[in-house]
Amino acid sequence: MNPTQTADRFIIPIGPQHPALKEPGHFEFTVEGETVTGASVRLGYAHRGIEKGTESRNWTQNLYLLERVCGICSHIHATAYTLGVEQLAEVEAPPRAQAIREIFAELERIHSHLLWLGVAAHDAGFDTLFMYTWRDRETVMDILEEVSGNRVHYSANILGGVKFDITDKAANTILKGLDFLEERTHHYRSVVNEDTFFLQRTRGVGLMTKEEALRLGVVGPTARASGVERDIRVDAPYIAYHDFPVNLVTLPTGDLEARFLVRLDELLDSYRVIRDILNDMPEGELTVKRMPRKMKPGEVISRVEAPRGELFYFIRSTGGESPDRIKVRTPTLCNMGSVIKQAVGHNLADVPMILVGIDPCFSCNDRAVSIRESRRNGQEKVWNWADLRRYGIEFYRRKMGLESSILE
Amino acid sequence: MKKIGMLKDMIRSAFRQPVTELYPVERRPAAEDFRGMLHWNPEGCTGCALCVKDCPADAIELITIDKAAKRFVIRYHVDRCLFCGQCAYSCRFNCITLSNDEWELADLGRDNYTVLYGEPEDIEQFSLESEPEPDIEPA
Repeated sequence: MNPTQTADRFIIPIGPQHPALKEPGHFEFTVEGETVTGASVRLGYAHRGIEKGTESRNWTQNLYLLERVCGICSHIHATAYTLGVEQLAEVEAPPRAQAIREIFAELERIHSHLLWLGVAAHDAGFDTLFMYTWRDRETVMDILEEVSGNRVHYSANILGGVKFDITDKAANTILKGLDFLEERTHHYRSVVNEDTFFLQRTRGVGLMTKEEALRLGVVGPTARASGVERDIRVDAPYIAYHDFPVNLVTLPTGDLEARFLVRLDELLDSYRVIRDILNDMPEGELTVKRMPRKMKPGEVISRVEAPRGELFYFIRSTGGESPDRIKVRTPTLCNMGSVIKQAVGHNLADVPMILVGIDPCFSCNDRAVSIRESRRNGQEKVWNWADLRRYGIEFYRRKMGLESSILE
Repeated sequence: MKKIGMLKDMIRSAFRQPVTELYPVERRPAAEDFRGMLHWNPEGCTGCALCVKDCPADAIELITIDKAAKRFVIRYHVDRCLFCGQCAYSCRFNCITLSNDEWELADLGRDNYTVLYGEPEDIEQFSLESEPEPDIEPA
């Protein structure tokens, strides 16, 4: 490496402090001029001890602890755990409870995808889309509050069933909300698909081929946007997905635009599935007759499709009132590796969008990014996430000002 | 021609009322099943303590005044409560309800966050017997 290259080569560390990320990460991007030439990721900073914590709580208390692994996909964590514990106890929740679980899972997916759409638009500098999606997201948050009694931690699950029924009144509220959301989603789909400026930030950016996606073990909408047919709801249906199946949404292109469209199409499919369930709701009990307080000894795994991809739980019981071991693997961990691959060859300005493209819970990303200037003078310039975002927006603004259709 | 996706929305919104609410001035009633502050009705309680066992946050303490006469006092720590509603679900005698209108629970100190529920004479007896304890943080 000659001296000029060394002078041009910067390493940009991002993280690790990140309150919103389930797997808070430290990224180091090596850049030559504007182009990212290498990236690395380190995980494991915000260890909360939840897995160990489960060992000192009883089976019921753990339900609420695990629900709090994530604030956005709280229901699906509780579902994965309950399904595992129900396997251990050899009971199965009644069909009506399973259907209600699916309704909540899909409502949660709607709110998560709308939240992501807003956050991703915000990182692209498209704050109008951000504001309007979040306004419309309130519709689904209100539905969740109306039906469950809480906006974020619905606590719908209990071991062996669900806590509350969906009454006719609640069903009407849901259907009314869905009509509005469906209309809006079609609108956002056309915006994402047609807005000239937005397309310059998404089309052809962060490309990942199907082979790469398979090799990296990517899950969820990120994988489906690269044409990988992978969805636990379809591959191994759980709760009521046997009776009310979802359609697998995949796109072959594998760029950021595909990740937007896959999520928006999933939204439309979620509306359809919820309507199907409400039209044909199974009758019956909400919980099993008897749920033991002590689980039989054994080991189970439980897989569910969280809004971000496959969520995996391993539960081991030794026959006591608390589990012996619980292991949680969240989808962000699987997708994190793909950021490294996708970022290489792109502009630094695209990095925030590529990161946000895997939906890593970037809801409150504000932390220090330190840019080490040329190693010769050893100066450090500190950037925070907001600066990097602003830099990305400014970069494209300049670029678009000079040339309106750079991607053609 | 360049297409600008949200232009129509923006123009339309310029002539609309804001969607935000002037919160302390305007209050939207909470949902019917909203889970707010816990209330305990001593009638029917057998002292099984399932609510205490299942509480994920150690927010409920059951104090036995006289087990044979089924006299109990509940000490409820509002500041620890997660409002998950498991206690209300666990209670077989429907003694516990979560209020849907008491949700503005912010306070400047922690003293008001410990609430005693029970028959007035039981609470009095308990207060006389027990010395004031320092508030212990949950483990």
